[in-house]
Amino acid sequence: MRGRRYVLLVLVLLLSLLLLTVQTRTGGAGRAGELVAFVTTPVQSVFVMITRGAFGMWNRYVEWKSLTADNALLRLEAERLRVEALRARESEQENARLRRLLTLRERLPLSTLGGEIIGREAGGWVRSLTVNRGHSSGVVQQMPVIVPQGLVGRVVQVRSRASVVQLLTDPTSAVGAMAQRTRTQGLVEGDAGGALRFKFMARDGAGVAPGDLVITSGLGNLFPKGLPIGRVARIEDKGSALFHFAVLAPVVDFARVEEVLLLTEQTTHDVASLFQEGG
Amino acid sequence: MRPLLLLMTFSGSLAQSNVVPAFSIGGVTPDVPLILTVFVALRRGPETGCLVGFAAGFLQDVAGGGLLGVQAFTKALAGFAMGLLVGRFWVSKPMVQVPGLVLLTLGEGLVRFLILQLFHFPASLGDVFIHVILPQALYNGFVGAACALTLSAADVLRSRAWS
Repeated sequence: MRGRRYVLLVLVLLLSLLLLTVQTRTGGAGRAGELVAFVTTPVQSVFVMITRGAFGMWNRYVEWKSLTADNALLRLEAERLRVEALRARESEQENARLRRLLTLRERLPLSTLGGEIIGREAGGWVRSLTVNRGHSSGVVQQMPVIVPQGLVGRVVQVRSRASVVQLLTDPTSAVGAMAQRTRTQGLVEGDAGGALRFKFMARDGAGVAPGDLVITSGLGNLFPKGLPIGRVARIEDKGSALFHFAVLAPVVDFARVEEVLLLTEQTTHDVASLFQEGG
Repeated sequence: MRPLLLLMTFSGSLAQSNVVPAFSIGGVTPDVPLILTVFVALRRGPETGCLVGFAAGFLQDVAGGGLLGVQAFTKALAGFAMGLLVGRFWVSKPMVQVPGLVLLTLGEGLVRFLILQLFHFPASLGDVFIHVILPQALYNGFVGAACALTLSAADVLRSRAWS
């Protein structure tokens, strides 16, 4: 009995290691992951719907409780109107977001694909979003993902009806970038604390200063040139070190992203002028 | 495994990627599948704890987009370890369960870091420990305490109903 339980443990651990090995050898999530994702993706969508609905109802309840009108009829009427107003405000905000996304989509000189966020992973080991677009919509790995404010990240896993997007703040994320004003080239990396760091060569004339906008450099042909990433918040001066780090404030609020655009085409044009401050 | 256990494992693991982030404090979220694994292991022993840990970790790997198998490995190990401690070290007492859960989260995080090191995970142990493992362990302890109290209250109510 005692021996059997250790055999089970060893079998389970070996299976985990086998999954890891197969995945790293084949470079994808593997058949097992694909199969499980086929079942889990619709459930995730339902969970998101329920969560949004529950939080929406909770917010409405809290607002309702603050009403102190004495007249019962008037209060009921006020509550009804309030609920309608909240719904209208929510629709208005959603419309505004979608309109900004559509405007950007029309201005971009390349084809894009719209997607909705159905899952988030923000624990620190992995920082990612799950988008409800996959193989069936033509999504492929390494596709850049943007919002009207700027770059969100890149697609790292593609399933039949969903994709996982690695955020810029993921500890393993690295993007070729440059300071827009000084054209100083460097690399933007995520870190375990959730911040963004711009690593650049600190030779004379680099001149990067707080407030400077950092954009994609277009080198490597993965991201179009000019996608906004963040603004320099402060420089970490390491004295005579060859490389300096600038801590960036991301232009995108990753916690609030609800809809995104996936860039299905590459361009050599500088797209910086298509992005406005605040989206 | 019973259907209820399967349902709990399935929904608990998927909830981690879309329901639990709504309860994050300063970017830190509790690891619900790990808490679930620990409580299952405490009640059902190492074999069930190991299987539930593996299933929960695997689903979390799939839903979260990490390397497939990392969390399946660490959570299976955590479930088995917690199950083995039943009957020793007074782990049936909530006052022991909660610190145990915190320590197990720290251990799970360190094992996970070691596995990820094999795949060239770039962050340093210090950074990961301060920003990810330790805050999550404390949050897990808080949630675990609430769960332990709820389960104790449910047990008391059930025993009163029987008597």
